[in-house]
Amino acid sequence: MTSHAAPALRHGIVTATGMATTLLAACTLRSDAPVPRVDVQHSWARIADSGGISGVYMEIVNNDTVPITLVGVTTTDAGAAEVHETTQRDDMAIMTARPGLRIPVGEVAKMAPGGVHVMLIDLRRTLSVGDSVRLRLQFSDSTSVAATVPVKTP
Amino acid sequence: MRGCALLVSVVSLAACDLGGGFRGIAVDPPLEMPTFAFTRADGSTFRTSPEPGRPMVLFFGYTHCPDVCPTTLADWKRVRATLGDEAKAVRFVFVTVDPDRDTPAVAERYARMYDVSFEGVSGDAITTSRMMDAFGVAAAREPGTNATGYLVSHSSQVFLVDSHGKLVALYPFGTKWEALAADLERLP
Repeated sequence: MTSHAAPALRHGIVTATGMATTLLAACTLRSDAPVPRVDVQHSWARIADSGGISGVYMEIVNNDTVPITLVGVTTTDAGAAEVHETTQRDDMAIMTARPGLRIPVGEVAKMAPGGVHVMLIDLRRTLSVGDSVRLRLQFSDSTSVAATVPVKTP
Repeated sequence: MRGCALLVSVVSLAACDLGGGFRGIAVDPPLEMPTFAFTRADGSTFRTSPEPGRPMVLFFGYTHCPDVCPTTLADWKRVRATLGDEAKAVRFVFVTVDPDRDTPAVAERYARMYDVSFEGVSGDAITTSRMMDAFGVAAAREPGTNATGYLVSHSSQVFLVDSHGKLVALYPFGTKWEALAADLERLP
């Protein structure tokens, strides 16, 4: 038995080796994919008119080894963005600014209707279902995270 | 203020009497509500007067509200979709408590963004104040930022008025929209 494979067979071996390498690389990439320090999930924004107001909701996961604090939001899609919180008192809805949203290690800050949300003020364009807005979340340690938020059916 | 106190006592009583059959908080006995008139952006008049077979669902909010008001209007949209043709007779009315910023055109557009059948109305200061008093609704300006301008704290419940013009049930914010849909279905 020759130690040299026939060309067709050799090609097959090379191909199989290549596939195995690719698969291995894919597995390696998957297992080594870095977990983002801060992960933004399930985000969505409300429909709104140009010049109007919208609300944005999301979950912010703190995968860091230290607590993080959301101190602000910037966007080029609106004149301003502020973190607010709605509370209910005696059937009154009261909205107040939430200047710092602390997220302990390994925990998730949930923004949801009737609670904490990002208020987009003076929108520079109409937000319709299927559009998206680009936000940058600013944290107290001077880091920031970009998020593209889809506009969804209310 | 008297209307507010009256409404609170009625609601307190109703909360104890759960026999009204409503999934919202029954107002028992139902309260006859006065009629209010609003001028729409096109100059036509919208009246809250009773119309046979046409119950009315009301909410008092403002268009600079990014959270509670749109949540309520989105819930109404779900109610309307669920009821289908049956909902065509229902008058869904968003009344601004911030008429200084919300012109009739602004209020109308805000409500119709959610459903073209929704009525968004803005009255003059006296009409707004009288209607809020009749429904026991409160609102107060709160300081905001340079960007937001002032904010408005406001009552957040939804009101159901039957086709005879009587307030029959309330839905505090957070009540599942299915409760309103079910109650609209059972109204004669």
